[in-house]
Amino acid sequence: MSEQNKIYDVVVVGGGIVGCAVFNAIVRNGNSAILLEAEDDVGAMSTKANSGIIHAGYDPKPNSLMAITNLRGNEMYASMCKRLNVEIKNCGTLVVATKENREKIQELYDRGKTNKVKGLKILERDALLKLEPNLADNIVCGLFASTASIVCPYLVCIALAEEGVINGGKVITNFRVSSIKKGKDIFTVKDDTRTQTVYGKYVVNCAGLYANFINSLVDEQEYPIKLVKGEYILLDKSQSNFVNRPIFPLPTEKGKGILAIPTLHGNVMFGPTATDCSFHDTSTTPDGLEQIKSNIILSVKKPNFKKTIKLFAGVRVKSGSDFVIEKSKKVPNFYYTIGICSPGLTSAPAIAEMILNMLQKDGLKSQPIKLKQRKPYGEHFALPKSELKKLIKKNPAYGKIVCRCEKVSEGEIIDALNSPLHPRTVDAIKRRIRPTMGKCQGSFCMPKIVKMIADYEKIQQEDVTQKGEKSEILVGDIKQGGIYDL
Amino acid sequence: MIYDVAVIGGGPAGMAAAISATKEGAKVVLIERDYRVGGILNQCIHNGFGLAYFGAELTGPQYAKRWEDELKKQKLDIKLNTTLEQITDCKKLVELTVVSNKNVEKIKAKSVVLSMGCRERPAGAINLCGTRPAGVFSAGQAQKFVNIHGKMVGKKVVILGSGDIGLIMARRLTCEGAKVIGVYEIMSKCGGLARNVAQCLNDFNIPLHLSTTVVEVIGEKRVEAVVVAPVDENLKPILEKKKIIKCDTLLLSVGLIPENDLIQDFDIEFDNVTGSAVVNEYFQTSNSKIFICGNVLHVNDLADNVSREGLQAGKFAALFAKNKLIPQNTITIVHDNHIKYTVPKYIHTNSTGTATISFRVDKEYHQVKIIAKSNNEIISQKPSPVVIAGEMQSLIIDKSKIKNDLSLEIEV
Repeated sequence: MSEQNKIYDVVVVGGGIVGCAVFNAIVRNGNSAILLEAEDDVGAMSTKANSGIIHAGYDPKPNSLMAITNLRGNEMYASMCKRLNVEIKNCGTLVVATKENREKIQELYDRGKTNKVKGLKILERDALLKLEPNLADNIVCGLFASTASIVCPYLVCIALAEEGVINGGKVITNFRVSSIKKGKDIFTVKDDTRTQTVYGKYVVNCAGLYANFINSLVDEQEYPIKLVKGEYILLDKSQSNFVNRPIFPLPTEKGKGILAIPTLHGNVMFGPTATDCSFHDTSTTPDGLEQIKSNIILSVKKPNFKKTIKLFAGVRVKSGSDFVIEKSKKVPNFYYTIGICSPGLTSAPAIAEMILNMLQKDGLKSQPIKLKQRKPYGEHFALPKSELKKLIKKNPAYGKIVCRCEKVSEGEIIDALNSPLHPRTVDAIKRRIRPTMGKCQGSFCMPKIVKMIADYEKIQQEDVTQKGEKSEILVGDIKQGGIYDL
Repeated sequence: MIYDVAVIGGGPAGMAAAISATKEGAKVVLIERDYRVGGILNQCIHNGFGLAYFGAELTGPQYAKRWEDELKKQKLDIKLNTTLEQITDCKKLVELTVVSNKNVEKIKAKSVVLSMGCRERPAGAINLCGTRPAGVFSAGQAQKFVNIHGKMVGKKVVILGSGDIGLIMARRLTCEGAKVIGVYEIMSKCGGLARNVAQCLNDFNIPLHLSTTVVEVIGEKRVEAVVVAPVDENLKPILEKKKIIKCDTLLLSVGLIPENDLIQDFDIEFDNVTGSAVVNEYFQTSNSKIFICGNVLHVNDLADNVSREGLQAGKFAALFAKNKLIPQNTITIVHDNHIKYTVPKYIHTNSTGTATISFRVDKEYHQVKIIAKSNNEIISQKPSPVVIAGEMQSLIIDKSKIKNDLSLEIEV
C-alpha cells in the first residue's frame, strides 16, 4: 500500500506535549501512528510557554485525574527523559508562606500525603534560606517537595515526537484538521487546504485549545472551557543563581501563582500570570508585567529586572476543575483530552498511558517494539573540551560559532536541520538547540541562521520564516542586489 | 609559546590595539571570531568615519581597510574564525581558551586587551509589549541583512529609538525604497548625533517624534501595526493619546550594551553607569594584566574615538607585558553631578604626558566650560557652546600638572 493511502492504527490530532506523548506511547507499543499538527512544529503553542516543572503532586484535589496522572507522570519522567536523551534536573520545588499563612502550608502537606506524594517536608526559615538565599524577608516557612524536577518543556515534546518518528511513526506539520469522517471502521481525516488525506482506525484528539472544535467534527460533546493567558519575564544567565529551584507562593483558586523558576539552561523566569482571554492571545501587556513584578517580591527578594531579555506569554486551557480524558460514547474508537492545564506537562506520559490502555481495551493489538534510541544533538559546548576538540577534528563546522551568546555552532545547526522532524524555521531551530535565545536575542546570529536555512533548503532567504507560513523575515532583494560574501 | 599581548576582537579597537602593541615590540596575537577583521565596520557602509585619523570622510569598510592594511604590515599572529570561550587568570599569565574550526586550544599571554565591542539591547530588555511576530529587528541586525546579505527587511517601517544606527537605517531603508513612517524616541532629546538627524532624517523628510514610544506590537505572524503613545515626564506612556500605526516592520535602536560577559566573573572593579570595567588612563583594569577599550568599555559614538582608545590600550598592554609599566600611585577622578561617568576613572600622579578624559553629561547644557582642577587650580579647560547627553565629550589633560587630586566640572 502506498504511503498516501496507508491506514494507520492511530491518528493523533495535536502535537503539544499530550499529543506527542500519546503518539510516542503508541509507536513504542508497536502500532502505526500518525501525528497531525496544525502549526509548523510540535510544541509550538501552549507547550512552549510552559514553566517546565515536573510537579510532585501535592496540589491537585485528591483522586482527581489531575492528581492521579500527576503522581504517575512524575514517577515516569526521570526514566523517560533518560530514554529520550533529554535533560531533567531533580531540584525539588518550594512553596513558601508568610506567618499568616503558616497553616496553609500544613494543609498542602496534608493534601500531598493524601495524594501519596513522597519526599514532602515542611521547613522553617533557617532551613529554607540554606536552600534559597533570596527568599523574601517575611517568608517564615515552606513546603519542600523533593520529587519535583525541571525540564525544558518544548524539548521534551520535540524528543517524544522524534523518538516516535525514528521508530516508524509519522508527523505531519501544518496540517489543520478540518474534517473527520467515520466509515464502517475507518476514520478519514482531512485538511481541506491540502490534498493529502489521512486514514486511521482510532483517532485521539489532543488538540489543546482546539479540542472542542475537533470533537465537533465528529459530533461529539463539547465541554465548557476557559482560556487563560500566562505571561512571563525571562532574565539572562547572569542571574542563574537567583533561585535553585522553582519557588511558588501558596496556590489560590486562580492557579499556582507567580513563580520564580530557574530554567535548565541557566536563565531565570518569573510568571505566569493568569488572565482570562478569548482566543490564542499570546501578547504581553504592561498590566501582566506589573502583576509579575509586584507579586514575585512576596516570595523572593527583588529580582534584577534590568537583566530581562524576553517577555513571552502562552495560553492554557481549563475545563472545570479537572482534566477531561474520555472516549466517545457516540463514535467508537474516538478519544479526547480536554482542559489539560497544569500539571499537564507532568501528567502527559501518564495520560498517554491511560489513552493507550483505553485503545487496547477497545481492541488495539500492541506488541512493544525494540526501541531505536533518539540521538541528541546540540549542546556541544557543555561537553568537556577534549570531547569538543574531537568533534571539531571530525567536523570543522562544530568549531564555527554562529550564536555567540548560547554558543551554538554551524555544525549543530546543520544537525538540527537534519533532525527527525526536519525543522525549517528560525524558531524551531531555536527551540531545539537555542541559537537566538541568549542575551542579544539573535541580533548577531539570526541573519546567519536565515542564510543557513535558505542554503540548506535551496530556497531564497526571503522564503525563510520565523514560525511558519506568513512569518517571512525578509521581503526580497535590495535594489542593487546582494553583495553577500560570507 | 607565550604571547606578550592577546587582543580579543578585531574591530576598530582591537585592530588599533594590535598595531600599537606590535609597534612597541610585543609578540601579539589577535583573536577574531569572524572570517575577517573589521567587526561591525564592515556593515556600516555609510560615510563619516576617519575624520580624526585620516582627515577624510570614509565609509565603514574603507575605514576598516585602512586599519587592516596597517595591521598587515605588522608582524603578529591573527587568528580568524576563532571565538574566545573562556579567560582564566593564572596569576602571572592569562590563559585564553579559544575555539576555531580547527581546534580547541589554550593561548597564554602576559596581558590581554579586551576589545569585543557591544551588542544591541533586545525588545525584552525595554519591556516591549504585544506580540512577537517576524518583522521586529534590532537596527544593527537589519543593517546586516541589508548591507551584507543584500536583503530588504520590510516595506513600511517604524523605528523605535533614535540611536545612531536607527537614524542611519532610516535613511538606508528609505534609499532602498521602503517607507520609513517615523522615528520614535521616548526621551525628550535625540539619542544620536546631530549630524545624523540632519543627514538621515531631515534630508529625507522622516519625522522624529520625541517623548513618544511604542507601547505595543500587533500581528501574529508578521508585524501588522504598532501602537505609539506620548510619554509624560516620568516616561510613562499616556495611553489616552495612543495611536495605531500600520507597518510591517519595527526596528529597535534602543541602546547598546558592552559585551563583557567573559569577565563578569572576574574580580574586576565595575562601573554601574557604563556596565563595564573601570580603568586608569592606560586603559588598565583593576586586574593589572587586563586592558579594555572601545565599546566593550563604554559605548562611543565615533569609531575614530574607539581607534584612539585601542592604540592607547595596546601600547600600555605591551609595556605592561615587558615590565615597563611600573605600578604607581593613582587617584580617582572626581566629577560633578552633570557628568555621568569618566573614562578613565583613575589617573596616575607623578606622571608626564597627556591623557584624554572622555565623559558623558546627564542632559543638554548651553554655553558651558569644561574644567579640570587639581589642588583647586584649573589645569585644563575648554568652552563648549552646547553639550548633550547623546554625544561623548572629552578634555585633554597635561598629567604633569596633576597634584594629589583631579576633578572634572561643567561650569554652566
